Amino acid sequence: MKKVEAIIKPFKLDDVKESLTALGVKGLTVTEVKGFGRQRGHREVYRGAEYQVDFVSKIKIEVVMEDELVSDAVRVIQEKAKTGQIGDGKIFILPVENAIRIRTGETGKDAI
Amino acid sequence: MTSPSDELKHARSELISLFSAGEVSETFQENYSEIMDSYFRRSVQESETGELLFRHKNPFALVAVGGYGRRDLCLHSDIDALILFDSKVPASAKNMAEDIFYPLWNLGFDLGHGIRSVKDCLGLASENLEALTSLMDARFICGESPLYLGLMERLEKKILPRRGATLSRWLEEQNQMRMAVFGDASSLLEPNLKEGIGGLRDYHHLLWLAKAFFHLRTPKDLEYSGILSHREYAGLESHLKFIHLVRNHLHRESARKNDRLTFDHQERIAEVLAFEDQEDHLAVEQFLSQLHASMASIKSLHRSFVFTHFPGLRRNGPGSGPSEGLHAPFRLEQGEIDFPSATRILSDPLLLLDIFVEGVKAGHPLSLESKRLVREFSYLVDDSFRASDRAARGFLSILNAPNAFEALDQMQETGFLCVFIPEFEPVQDRVQFDDYHLFPVGRHSLQTVRNLKSLQQERDILLTDILLDLPAAEPLFVAALFHDIGKTGKDHAAKGAVLAKAILKRFGYDRERTDDVCFLVRHHLLLAETATRRDLNDEKIVVQCAEVIGTIERLKMLYLLSWADGKATGPRAWNDWIANLVLELFFKVLHILERGELATPDASRRIRHSMQQVRRQIGDQLSPADQEILFDVMPPNYLIETPPRAIARHITLYATLRQTGTAGLGGAFCLEAQAEPSSGTYEVTFLAGDRAGLFSDVAGVMALNNINILSARIYTWRDGTAVDIFTVTPPLDPIRTEEVWERIKRDLAVTFQGRLHLADRLQQKAEPTILSRKKTLARQTRVHVDNEPSDFYTLVEVFTDDRIGLLYRITHTLFTLGIDIRIAKISTKADQVADVFYVLDLEGQKIMEQGKVEKIREGLLQELSSK
Repeated sequence: MKKVEAIIKPFKLDDVKESLTALGVKGLTVTEVKGFGRQRGHREVYRGAEYQVDFVSKIKIEVVMEDELVSDAVRVIQEKAKTGQIGDGKIFILPVENAIRIRTGETGKDAI
Repeated sequence: MTSPSDELKHARSELISLFSAGEVSETFQENYSEIMDSYFRRSVQESETGELLFRHKNPFALVAVGGYGRRDLCLHSDIDALILFDSKVPASAKNMAEDIFYPLWNLGFDLGHGIRSVKDCLGLASENLEALTSLMDARFICGESPLYLGLMERLEKKILPRRGATLSRWLEEQNQMRMAVFGDASSLLEPNLKEGIGGLRDYHHLLWLAKAFFHLRTPKDLEYSGILSHREYAGLESHLKFIHLVRNHLHRESARKNDRLTFDHQERIAEVLAFEDQEDHLAVEQFLSQLHASMASIKSLHRSFVFTHFPGLRRNGPGSGPSEGLHAPFRLEQGEIDFPSATRILSDPLLLLDIFVEGVKAGHPLSLESKRLVREFSYLVDDSFRASDRAARGFLSILNAPNAFEALDQMQETGFLCVFIPEFEPVQDRVQFDDYHLFPVGRHSLQTVRNLKSLQQERDILLTDILLDLPAAEPLFVAALFHDIGKTGKDHAAKGAVLAKAILKRFGYDRERTDDVCFLVRHHLLLAETATRRDLNDEKIVVQCAEVIGTIERLKMLYLLSWADGKATGPRAWNDWIANLVLELFFKVLHILERGELATPDASRRIRHSMQQVRRQIGDQLSPADQEILFDVMPPNYLIETPPRAIARHITLYATLRQTGTAGLGGAFCLEAQAEPSSGTYEVTFLAGDRAGLFSDVAGVMALNNINILSARIYTWRDGTAVDIFTVTPPLDPIRTEEVWERIKRDLAVTFQGRLHLADRLQQKAEPTILSRKKTLARQTRVHVDNEPSDFYTLVEVFTDDRIGLLYRITHTLFTLGIDIRIAKISTKADQVADVFYVLDLEGQKIMEQGKVEKIREGLLQELSSK
């Protein structure tokens, strides 16, 4: 089992979500996050006062899936989230030890 | 014969099944109290200890207290009862308590009980206010009634006169605590039916105060004593009935005492109460709307009551300053405004609005009596009232006042707002069943106005500055109040704009400002939606947004409205994350509007006009849908700067390119040269899939073939197609021009395949020949790299002398520095070249680092100074 975590541009969420569901991903977690990577925040000036925006608003999605699905999932996220411009985001893949469904106590792949 | 407790159990379950079947819904509490009473009566009768006590002249009374005393028993309410003795509680009383109370515990009742003498009761009541209020609701069930009557009389004559003031202060503290803990239930999505503001507690407070200060015995006395009007009392009764009904269903659904109407129960209860889904209005939303309306009404009644009769309890708000500036005919009474008389209203109905105008000016609230008069006489508000000049002026002066919210709040509370602006009626109490909208529309609209009014106190300097910059903020306030007025169904913003227009027309409102208001209402979601759903790095998206907005003033108002609206909606609609995105969009649109090239009304008009002509010229070459797709990928600069005829030609070339090449890969391109007889030049159009270095290759091949580029404009369409338009000198050999163009195409093809080394070939060519040598004044070459003019690109400007291969050298240098040219404008005037390149780095980002900027400058200067 792996967890695929992706930081993407907010307006790409629907596309990414749809294509992941089409792949057979059964659930995903979405969080509104702020941060910076190569795309830094920026500075604005209004009437002489400076307004520094340090962090950029992004969406983080997290999906836990079976290993076989990972390469396809990564491919569609990359395809759908890409604009070719700075700030398109990143994908992280993490190993997952186990998963437990709270309601039934099912574990492993049955729980995802 | 069944025992009292068996009988109770049986009767109770029968009552519950009746209730579940939808019967006894209005009388449940009374029926239930009745059942409890008869249990107590029978168990007292059958208690042997009870018998003994009577026989030993130790009389007692069984008394219901608290909610049970008021006969307000809901399904899982606590039962509070008291065994009352005269002067001393005999030892055997305990046994009787066992007989009476133990069976109830066994049945699982939440029982609060006491065994006390009258004196103990009074002592407790004078020390403990909770005990006092509980006793004030006491009701005799059985036993010796004189004991009960004696208790009540002494409570009224001895305790209440001493404790009244403390009680009223304590209740006010309780209110504040309730507000802090449970919030204003009349506008919360998960209201607490009992303790929330507007909940049953408000009614209890009102009742206790009336009992303590006006010697009321029963709720009905509220009307008989004239504290409430007949209408108010009838309203109160029906609202209480509804809330009790909901509470009973909530208890039933939760199978326990639960007063917080959480999401998970709402749909089910709405269904049980026979609300039905209608188009665009879910049953559960209608249910919540009605509940909120009931709670708002109880809140209002309670508030006015306290305000009128207990002025000492009022907290000092903005409405309690000195009494200056109040105009005749209104009077100020204990810090509240009164009508001169009811008859004056009849002769001059507009006083109904004037009182709010005066109130907002002088900073005083209306008295309870005034509010009542407003309600009673609201039938006088007719069409001519609504369309009168005085009304319009008055209403606008309220909206412009710093404390507009307080006035609007009272207008809403008295129902005047809906009478004066009937368009509010259908949306006022409308609730949306989601976790996004926290308040009903009416409350939300007022809150939006309040947010704007409180901007001065916000720590956000930017928002405050923007508000202060507005030459006229009135349209913003009007729009804030009306922005959701169309929320009766889908597309509420567009509907709202139509309604707002009708309202303002009735007011005789200034035409230009009406347009501003309608614009704001129609587009109040534009910024937030664009910021969260569209690509803010895409210039076209931002330009389109700017086109819709049109002016800087409107942008500023729209930004403030988005903030105030979002903040009044709830934390999901407005938080730092969204604020961040909207701020980015605000500044990008602001810059575009300030520069005024791409999105002025004039530019928009030109683009629309040009698109029409293009459509006509391409005719049925392309389906209308495909045409729209193409227009969508064309960047704003391109659409503004390119003549319709040229656009039509590019579309044709684009289609050819699509057919021949695989979407701009593998070196596929189109090149077309047309003579321009009037100027003796050629126009060369070049299309290909864009990549870094493409422009430099094209420029190089032209130079290689002795074609001098006089001017050029290059664009990158949003789908990655490079569209370059060159104006060039004619081929040297006027007879064989076609051959030259064919050779250029061949050279381009081999260059794209990497089989022609342009740099070397041009180097050889640059060796001076007679043909190409020109006398030139060696002027200083200048290079500017500028990030200010655009949020989307870095501008590189080059001014230098013209020479063969110049454009190639510039663009090739940029390419080797890792710079991607997205737009370029090349022009030559009398041997002087002025080139402007709109560039990004290979990651698609502006070049912000000073080091890199310097490198570009130095690289270009060095390249251009060498021969």
